[in-house]
Amino acid sequence: MRRLQKQHIKSSIRVLQVSMIGLFFVLIGRLYQLQILDYQKYNPLSKKNSIRREYVSPARGLIYDRNGNLLVDNEPIYTITITPAKYDTNNNALLARLLNVKTSDLRNKITEAENYSWHRKSRLYTEVDFGIFSRIQENIWRLPGIGHLIESKRHYPTPAKAAHLLGYLREVSQKTYLDSDHYQLGDKVGKSGLEQIYENYLRGKQGTSYKLVNAFGQELGPYDNGNLDKAPLQGSDLYTTLDTDLQIFAEKLMKNKRGSIVALNPQNGAILAMVSSPEYKLSKLAGRLDHKYWAKINADTTSPLFNRAIAAQEPPGSTIKPLMALIGLHLGVITPKTVINNPGYFYLGRRYGDHAEPGKYDLVKAIAHSSNTYFFTVMYKIARNGLFNKWHDLASDFGLGHLDYVDLPGERKGILPDSSYFNNRFGVRKWSIGDIINLGIGQGVMSVTPLQMALVSAEIANNGYKVQPHIVRAIKKSDGTFLSTDPVKKKISWVTQKDIDVVKKGMREVAVEGTARWYANVKNIKIAGKTGTAQNPRGKDDAWFISFAPYKNPKIALAVLVENAGYGSQSAVPISTLMIEKYLTGKVQRKWLLKKMINFNPADTTGTDE
Amino acid sequence: MNNWYKNFDWILVLCWIALTLIGLAAIYSATQGPVSQFLPSYIQENFFKQLLWVAISIVILIIVQFTAPRTFQQGSYLFYAFCILLMISTLLFGVEINGARSWISIAGVRFQVSEIMKIGTILAVSNYLTSRRNISAEKLSSALVAVGIILLPTGLTLLQNDTGTALVLLSLIPVMLFWSGLPRGISLFIISPAIIGYFAVIQWYWGILAVLIVSIAVFLIQKRTWLTLTSLIFGIIIVAGVHIALYQVLEPHQRARIEAFTNPSFDPHGAGWNVIQAKTAIGSGGLTGKGFMKGTQTQLRFLPEQWTDFIYCVIGEEFGFIGASIVIIIFLIMLMRLLNVAGSHNHPFAQLVIVGIASIFFVHILINIGSAMGLLPVIGIPLPFISYGGSAFMSNTFMLAIALNMELYHRDFSIFV
Repeated sequence: MRRLQKQHIKSSIRVLQVSMIGLFFVLIGRLYQLQILDYQKYNPLSKKNSIRREYVSPARGLIYDRNGNLLVDNEPIYTITITPAKYDTNNNALLARLLNVKTSDLRNKITEAENYSWHRKSRLYTEVDFGIFSRIQENIWRLPGIGHLIESKRHYPTPAKAAHLLGYLREVSQKTYLDSDHYQLGDKVGKSGLEQIYENYLRGKQGTSYKLVNAFGQELGPYDNGNLDKAPLQGSDLYTTLDTDLQIFAEKLMKNKRGSIVALNPQNGAILAMVSSPEYKLSKLAGRLDHKYWAKINADTTSPLFNRAIAAQEPPGSTIKPLMALIGLHLGVITPKTVINNPGYFYLGRRYGDHAEPGKYDLVKAIAHSSNTYFFTVMYKIARNGLFNKWHDLASDFGLGHLDYVDLPGERKGILPDSSYFNNRFGVRKWSIGDIINLGIGQGVMSVTPLQMALVSAEIANNGYKVQPHIVRAIKKSDGTFLSTDPVKKKISWVTQKDIDVVKKGMREVAVEGTARWYANVKNIKIAGKTGTAQNPRGKDDAWFISFAPYKNPKIALAVLVENAGYGSQSAVPISTLMIEKYLTGKVQRKWLLKKMINFNPADTTGTDE
Repeated sequence: MNNWYKNFDWILVLCWIALTLIGLAAIYSATQGPVSQFLPSYIQENFFKQLLWVAISIVILIIVQFTAPRTFQQGSYLFYAFCILLMISTLLFGVEINGARSWISIAGVRFQVSEIMKIGTILAVSNYLTSRRNISAEKLSSALVAVGIILLPTGLTLLQNDTGTALVLLSLIPVMLFWSGLPRGISLFIISPAIIGYFAVIQWYWGILAVLIVSIAVFLIQKRTWLTLTSLIFGIIIVAGVHIALYQVLEPHQRARIEAFTNPSFDPHGAGWNVIQAKTAIGSGGLTGKGFMKGTQTQLRFLPEQWTDFIYCVIGEEFGFIGASIVIIIFLIMLMRLLNVAGSHNHPFAQLVIVGIASIFFVHILINIGSAMGLLPVIGIPLPFISYGGSAFMSNTFMLAIALNMELYHRDFSIFV
């Protein structure tokens, strides 16, 4: 009995020991599986868990004007974020009190965030003021799931709007975000103007920092003492050619008008001011998007987002005449002494009207008084001599009919027809010389942008040198080095000084005794220019004026286009000459004219000047 | 007590010292680590409280060695009754912590009564079974009384909402009965619900497979057709019951909690969170671990209760496979030693007590480590000698001290067999 019992006990011990050893082997096996076999799976998991990689947005590059004054800089905005999964809704009352908002409002925002993602951080309140931001920070330990972001938004320290020049930023689109590795969702990217063109420079390079976090998402400090962190590389600064005072002045002149001003330095193509009116306010698009304002400017029928200065395509009207004269002289169809009789019309199968007084016109007089007959004749001779396509090429040399690659997005090239264009548009032999001669006075199937006309003006002013229109003259990289844009200046080979002198004389006469004499004959400043009218299918004609000054050694060349203003002499001319006066003398003597032009309403214009 | 140091079981004491030191290191890391300032101060204090409890436990360990072994047998019923009374008063006046009303506050010191209840139960059951001599398959009445002695405190712990301890107490039933002569087939039959239930939770067909294997084993061991059939039918009922409970009775979130260990990604931020984080902590430790106080999962508090229920993750993460398997091996040595001591002891009471103590340690180790590694549902019981918890540490040391005492005096014991 006792022996049996001993036996029983012995075997019982074995059973217990074997089962325990067996189960312990299962434990060790599992340990081996987790720690040795699956190490590669769990180690990164734990790293991801405890280390939060944060992208540090670089400061976006600044934009300066030609005198080194800031046009665009950054200001910090404070954003409160929420991770709904980690947030305790019992804290609603506390959070609402700290944020100084209604609890119901907060609850809606939280629901919104929950709908976006339960586990991802989303913005709860953006652009909270610093006081609220600090209050939240003091209480952050009581508010798991609440975080913050310090972001920056564009700030415009000058009264210049320059909306089309500078451009606005928008949150990066899903597509851009996926296609490039420069962005995080929520980053801002330049969507127009210089911000868009120079996005790659302005953006800088985002940095990364690794932070230790605990299960509550509390940040416990840098990981590995920040050794892995990469500081963001600040964006490059843009140094532009813009003259802030002139820009502000130009915007003032274009207030309540539709149209544009392009002013540039004829010697190098540097753009001094550029206005497209109506404008919009960039500050309203910075930071938190003002949806109402955005919807409003998008729906506006006057299209404030449209950059008329480089994208409005209008017939140049009579402003083409100086270029026509140069081409005519070069092709030998006229000489400076050629006299053409204007009976009040040009006749070719039908009468083409001429507003200039009937009489005999030489080239200078023809430009000064804008004789259509003279330039119909020039174009007629060109076409008759089979030089139409040659005409196209010569005009093209001045920048018409193709892009001029100014550093702004959305530039349009206009239309400068040649025979193949007509063949395409009307069909072979379906067009006649009548279609061509209209081009002689800048009408018909032809269109140009204000930028192109400003270039024509500048290239005549600088005696036939092709210049590259540009806004940014240098880029200052974050390491302090400069990238300069080389201003291209190339002689247009076929232009001779003799021809240029005659044409410039004609343009000077425009201001002295010709179509612009009322407002362009300014004391002490010798202005040269040419008026023009472009037919606008929607309402009254658009008024053009191209000009440069001083007559000898020009420092500024302009093209001004005022939509529906009728004749150029009452709107485009005074605006241009006020710009010239402001730029060259720094102040405006003709205060009465300035006042008149600010209050100018295109609907009130009368009179003739062609 | 001549040459007591020769009879004293130094292996067990060394195991105890090693586990205690490892535990202190792990608790230190979990509560005093580099980023501990983010922990509430009452948790930071845990390490120092544990130090105090270790000191108290050493005193108890020594005192117990000077106690006559028969005291335990003679006083067993009284001690049991005293514990039951304490349990009831805990139910009435106890303090609730983490949803379990299993704590009683005496002079400002909180004590978990169910911990000493384990000792009381072991002593009482052992005493009862010793007085009954052997149990046979035919004569189960005394077995039922023994089961009753265990079920009473189990019921009370369940009322206290302390499922973990209740499970530990329940596990005493098959071991104690088996040791006292309950046929092996029946013993297997008794523990079969746990095995079948476990596999049935994972997948119903695994459950069925477990039923078949258990039934075949029962048949092979016992060669009784009725027992085999009962086992088969009973097993199938369990599988069906588990299935119905999971999918019909329980709410999805309750089911998620049970299923979390098999499929933590089912609810990664709810019930599965702890399992995922625990596995990540252990898995990321690799062979050698991240180093003392360098475990990111631990230091950054991705684990709740990492100084108690998930302390094994701290060890696994910071000391790696080497450290974590050493802990298992020390436990194994301790358990094997205890069972050997029991087997070589002359007195059935001492045998039963030591086997009971070993099985309680074993269940604690299995459940704690198993749930930390995602093998078992998270039940939440401490790892003996390692987890933070004064009452548990003291009670476990007390139990080990009793085993040491019985071994030390095994000659004296034989006098009054």
